[in-house]
Amino acid sequence: MRAPDGPPVTSGDVLLSIDNVSLSFGGVKAISGVSFDIRKGEIRAIIGPNGAGKTSMLNIINGFYHPQQGIITFKGEARSKMRPHDAADGGIARTFQNVALFRGMSALDNIMAGRTLKMKRNMFWQMLRIGPALAEEVEHRHRVEEIIDFLKIQEIRRTPVSRLPYGLQKRVELGRALAMEPELLLLDEPMAGMNIEEKEDMSRFILDVNEHYGTTIALIEHDMGVVMDLSDRVVVLDHGIKIADGTPQEVKSNQAVIDAYLGVAH
Amino acid sequence: MASDAAATADTFPKLLIRNARLYGARPSMRHKDLGIWQTWTWKEVEELVRAYATGLSRLGLKRGETIAIVGSNRPKLYWSVMAAQMLGAVPVPVYADAVADELSFVLAHADVRFAAVEDQEQIDKIQSVLDRLPKLELMFYDETRGLRDYDHAKLRAMDDVIADGRQALAADPKLRDWLDAEIAAGKGSDPSIILYTSGTTGASKGVVLSGERSIRAATDTVKFDKLTENDVALAYLPLAWVGDHYLNYAQGLVAGFCTACPENAETAMFDLREIGPSFYFAPPRTLEVLLTRMMIRMEDASPLKRKLFHYFLGVARQYGERILNKQAVPLKGRLLYWLGNVLVYAPLKNVLGLSRVRVAYTAGEAIGPDLFAFYRSIGLNLKQLYGQTEAFLYVTAQPDGAIYSDTVGPACPNVDIRIAENGEVLFKSPGMFIGYFKDAAKTAEVTTPDGYVMTGDAGYFDEKTGHLKIIDRAKDVGRLNDGTMFPPKYIENKLKFFPDIREAVAYGDKRDFVTVMLNIDLTAVSSWAERNNVSYGSYQELAGHPLVYAMMEKHVAEVNSAMAADKMLAGNQIKRFLILHKELDADDGELTRTQKVRRGFVADRYKPLIDALYSGAREADISTEVTFEDGRKGTLAARVRIADVQPVAVSGNLGKAA
Repeated sequence: MRAPDGPPVTSGDVLLSIDNVSLSFGGVKAISGVSFDIRKGEIRAIIGPNGAGKTSMLNIINGFYHPQQGIITFKGEARSKMRPHDAADGGIARTFQNVALFRGMSALDNIMAGRTLKMKRNMFWQMLRIGPALAEEVEHRHRVEEIIDFLKIQEIRRTPVSRLPYGLQKRVELGRALAMEPELLLLDEPMAGMNIEEKEDMSRFILDVNEHYGTTIALIEHDMGVVMDLSDRVVVLDHGIKIADGTPQEVKSNQAVIDAYLGVAH
Repeated sequence: MASDAAATADTFPKLLIRNARLYGARPSMRHKDLGIWQTWTWKEVEELVRAYATGLSRLGLKRGETIAIVGSNRPKLYWSVMAAQMLGAVPVPVYADAVADELSFVLAHADVRFAAVEDQEQIDKIQSVLDRLPKLELMFYDETRGLRDYDHAKLRAMDDVIADGRQALAADPKLRDWLDAEIAAGKGSDPSIILYTSGTTGASKGVVLSGERSIRAATDTVKFDKLTENDVALAYLPLAWVGDHYLNYAQGLVAGFCTACPENAETAMFDLREIGPSFYFAPPRTLEVLLTRMMIRMEDASPLKRKLFHYFLGVARQYGERILNKQAVPLKGRLLYWLGNVLVYAPLKNVLGLSRVRVAYTAGEAIGPDLFAFYRSIGLNLKQLYGQTEAFLYVTAQPDGAIYSDTVGPACPNVDIRIAENGEVLFKSPGMFIGYFKDAAKTAEVTTPDGYVMTGDAGYFDEKTGHLKIIDRAKDVGRLNDGTMFPPKYIENKLKFFPDIREAVAYGDKRDFVTVMLNIDLTAVSSWAERNNVSYGSYQELAGHPLVYAMMEKHVAEVNSAMAADKMLAGNQIKRFLILHKELDADDGELTRTQKVRRGFVADRYKPLIDALYSGAREADISTEVTFEDGRKGTLAARVRIADVQPVAVSGNLGKAA
């Protein structure tokens, strides 16, 4: 794995920390004063009821939204805002709540697109597709094939993604994110809309990615069972405020979390 | 020459050495890995297997011991078989999708000390039953993924075993001589492999085959189908099935052809197209799926293409088979067929990956005549064979040019077939098994004193063609009161070939005539109803609709006239039938989980209906308990109409009117 700029981060160290971050859209406060951290090598879940600010949080982490307040420290470097290319260069990749693939392109080309940042030859060379550009493409294709093998999607390699069922599209999207060889992988509801079997498959892939590539993973998920099984630590948001943070066990027994999910009798 | 095989080599390792010498630079094995076809020549395979065998021997595998092979069709698993045989050990392939219980039964029964497995999944499965396998010492795995953090006390990567063997061979030149001596010490009469039957008809049994017999049988069929080192086969059927071991492993080694392993099970269809095999085997079910998929895709094609497609399929139906059988065809037919080939058949076969197929076989169950004729009409030389594990596959096979959809062909070269008193097919063949592993009693049970093996299947030789016709399992064949042989499954299959009949249950044993209960196929019949403005509110209503009855009556009459043409079966014409008001369902115990009808259970459950079928009543009331998907139970009551069918006069000069 390519080690991008900044000092190396070893397992268990803090990879990314969010410090007192607030984000508002006009008068609506999406996130207010949230702090938490993501440690190297862990699977970190961000959960909460609808509108809790989970996706906003991911968007802040990968630089899509810029918070009005707060500090984001990624691999020891503190910023008041991430920019998307900082995030990508620094090794943050993500998938989206609604599948965001190039619909007319094959699964292979979609995953290949994830390698764009790693390609060194310019467009001219790539269009000629000779010499060094060809060698480079072969190298990248090899990596992509490893990912295809890893995710067991060989049979859909050449299929345009728009023809694939939803569960497989999600897997292709995960493949594209993996092609970036990320240090931190953000998954926005990777299992939304899946049936139980697809969920089980996806869970296994997430665990495999974490184990095999050593990738740190932050995921948003609605399915509590999945979250509790998969994640090492869970942070719970409600109305833009952090209400709990800890192991799945701790979070499950936290009164504030129960209230947020089940409602409070007034 | 490949046909000299039997004379020069009586074990598979000896054949491997011969192939490396004769076809050294030719491909022996291909496997698609990371999107690219990797190729190993016979020479490379020989070196690899030598290294592997040396590595296995250094871990303690000895002559006569067994080693389990668990996984899908991958080169390293085939090489595990070869390496074990090189040492005189006996490989025991196990179905990759066997559940842990079945797996532990076979592994324990075969006394395996070692197991060569594909991946983490299989290791997990074996480890979950490890307490039942005290003899198992080591597992070798091909795919390393996910196994890094496993306790390696009982695990080794195959690559490491091979590397270790290679190193040892390089370090000590005497080791190579020792290995050569081991190969030479292998006798043709030694057990070569143990194939466990799938156990659909009782407990799984280990069928022991010897190298000498296996090679003799494969040599015969290689000659029969003129296979050479230039052929290519795609190995996509279960490794533990006799068919794969015969068609790909044994014939591959005898003929020296190339065996290609697909990337994974799901990609087999694409890999087929890329490899373009010249020798192909597919069970009827696969052929049916292919055809259905093709037809559905054709429905989405442009009107012009659709018209062309259907027009030329008509041409193919008319002339295709006759051209394939080299019979006389009018010039117009030849020209049209040639045009059809350019426009439709050749592109179609190309899409299916069957362009280069010279010989294709199907077997395993009865194939529908339409399905069979379709593939043959577009120029695919599809043939049927009949066999079983105990025979090392082939008992009969259809020769080129003499193909009938309802027979399985004459006896293969050097195979002797006899029909027993009760109609059971007995055979004696070059490849026949030595015995069941650790079960002499069972072996004696299926062998006659003069050395024939009982197949358990009932059949007879067709009068007109002299080919064998398999009709049912021998134990299921009954007799009508007039003594006519009554094969229920044969009749049921004939009915089920109609797409709108989903299930049929025939009765007739110890009765005066044959009756059937039918299940309509909801998908097919409802789409028919839609096109013909037949309205219905429920399955039950549709099943009882007079038009549906009329349609079924036509089908039954067609089956009757087919049977009337056959002297042996003419007495089995269906006189009365009914359409069941509900689908037979595994949840209600009417079907097995593999979707086979439990005839006895159905007979008890629908006794009032069967009584009515034989009492001459016009209709009958039935009330049955049904189980819903969530486990709740309810009762379903219905009045079922019974239809009479006029039997067809028996044709020919039999002089017996029905």
